Amino acid sequence: MRRLAVAAVAVVAALALPDVGLAHATLTTSYPRAQSTIQVPPAEVRLVFNQSVTVTSRAIQVLAADGTLLSGTATTRNGGAVVVAPVSRLERGSAYTVRWRVTSSDGHSPGGVFTFGVGVPAPPPTEAVGAAGTSWRDDVARWALFAALALLIGPLVVRVVVLRRSSVPAALEQRVHLLTTVAAFLVIDAGIVAFVLRAANALQLPGIDLLYGDLKPFAEHTRFGIAFLAMTMGFAIVAGLLLVAWIFDRTALRWPALVLSLALASGLSLSSHQATEPNRGTLPEVADWLHLVAACVWVGGLAALALCVWPVAPALRRTAFVGFSRIAVVLVALMVLGGAYLALVRLPSVSDLWTTHYGHVLLVKAAIVSVALGWGAAHHFLVRPRLERGADPEIRPSLVGELVVAFVVLLVAAVLTNSAPPAVRDRTPVVAGAAR
Amino acid sequence: MIPHAETAHWIAASVALLLGLVLLSEVIVGTDVFRRRRWRAYLWPSLALVSGVLIWLIAILSTFSTIHLLAHAIWAEAAMIAGAVELAVVRGKLSSPRWSLVAAAALLISGLSFLVHEQNPWLYSRAAFLHHAIGWMLVVAALFPLGRALRPQRTVLWGTGFALTFVLLAVMLFADRDSASIFGHFGEIPRP
Repeated sequence: MRRLAVAAVAVVAALALPDVGLAHATLTTSYPRAQSTIQVPPAEVRLVFNQSVTVTSRAIQVLAADGTLLSGTATTRNGGAVVVAPVSRLERGSAYTVRWRVTSSDGHSPGGVFTFGVGVPAPPPTEAVGAAGTSWRDDVARWALFAALALLIGPLVVRVVVLRRSSVPAALEQRVHLLTTVAAFLVIDAGIVAFVLRAANALQLPGIDLLYGDLKPFAEHTRFGIAFLAMTMGFAIVAGLLLVAWIFDRTALRWPALVLSLALASGLSLSSHQATEPNRGTLPEVADWLHLVAACVWVGGLAALALCVWPVAPALRRTAFVGFSRIAVVLVALMVLGGAYLALVRLPSVSDLWTTHYGHVLLVKAAIVSVALGWGAAHHFLVRPRLERGADPEIRPSLVGELVVAFVVLLVAAVLTNSAPPAVRDRTPVVAGAAR
Repeated sequence: MIPHAETAHWIAASVALLLGLVLLSEVIVGTDVFRRRRWRAYLWPSLALVSGVLIWLIAILSTFSTIHLLAHAIWAEAAMIAGAVELAVVRGKLSSPRWSLVAAAALLISGLSFLVHEQNPWLYSRAAFLHHAIGWMLVVAALFPLGRALRPQRTVLWGTGFALTFVLLAVMLFADRDSASIFGHFGEIPRP
């Protein structure tokens, strides 16, 4: 009874006493602001939190491009909500990195990193001093993102374009619904993982402390962060549209889901290395987007044929295969032309192909793409005529084989996207290299 | 860019309260009476699905810490999937009572992410206390849809528990911030 009374008092106290309510501290603003350009070197760096924090003397570290520590002992003001560190030897014409770590009143240790420039543009936080480059984890996350995007877009194209005039059996309809809806959620999840991993490379927080890392500078001041925010919300709407389409048999909703997905895929093009290179421009970005979309439709379309049409809709095999085969010609053209153009843009000289890491990956990708295209050509020129003549050859294993090769292509594409293209001579200097 | 935490939590609490009251209404008047107007059957699953989409908006605005981004993402996904499955059941797309297991899993995962999201012990602070309370409540509340899946004949028991879960969640979400105006008048009480 006594325990019950204590518990009751604790509950009432928790609900009734607002002043004892605490959450962990978050950085609300700073001077200099994250990714800002100021004209005069500051005498101090100031961080403002939404509640009081406790700090050690090294709570704020201001670092020059060569890693030299320029900040002094950090102290708190305004009851602990403001943390200040004096800085010296900052010069106009340089960019600096700020790394911070505090302890909030709930015991958590939030931390973060941002950059600012004095008379020069601040580099993105991914290029802060101490930031690590991408690793195999980033490659796997981006591959998952590509694969999920393909499994979303490809089956939608097969259903709403290739089979638009066909009477589709309920089983196929169900399978396409299931595949595309799961893929939409996977796109969101893989996107979150990729974003957090990319931020973690720069944050360099140990283990569990990454959970309290400040991701705002990455979300709000990098193109991949902004693309991540737009894609996450956009694909949540896509998932919602697909769910409603399934529940209420409103198959027309797949059109807006497809159009939105295609548009959102541009986020990957805008936020890949294409977005950070000095030779970036509208044409390379459009080429990158077309290259990506064509690849997604090709890989996802193969998945739709192998995993949906062949097992549950035998009557539609010929229509689906022949229809997709016609589209595939355009897709291959877009992939090859787009890829060739981007290679020309990103590789300053032909020798970069065998002298740089980027070139090596590109060669591997080209080799695997050749295998996949050869496989596709065999389907196009050998299987398609047989199907058009009314035969029903057992080609599902072959479709699955081509699909597996296509997923390997996506994996190499993910590695390539996370790799830094060869440097261009007039490239703007950065605070610290975050390249592989 | 980030909305005030109270604003987000009040909205979430309001939606949870609405959900709870709709569910409670069905328990009180009985399913037959409640569903005399067909649209009422769609009310709570639609609310869950739409609120799931809206939680994504909060998730992408919660980049001030990794844990907040991940926790909101889990809640958003759980609400969307559970709402969609319940809508499909109401619509007749899915028929087995076992589909309630999805709602049970959603509550369980949501509760666990509440508990993981809070690293401090129960009595460390009000926020910690409420996070633990909400987490454990959601974990325990997973038993209600679980019961509905395995013993569908005891509708009133499972329905009442499920409905009250959301009402309690709303109360706790309203209380889960320092300056929540619903308890703001207590703010003048001097600290001990």
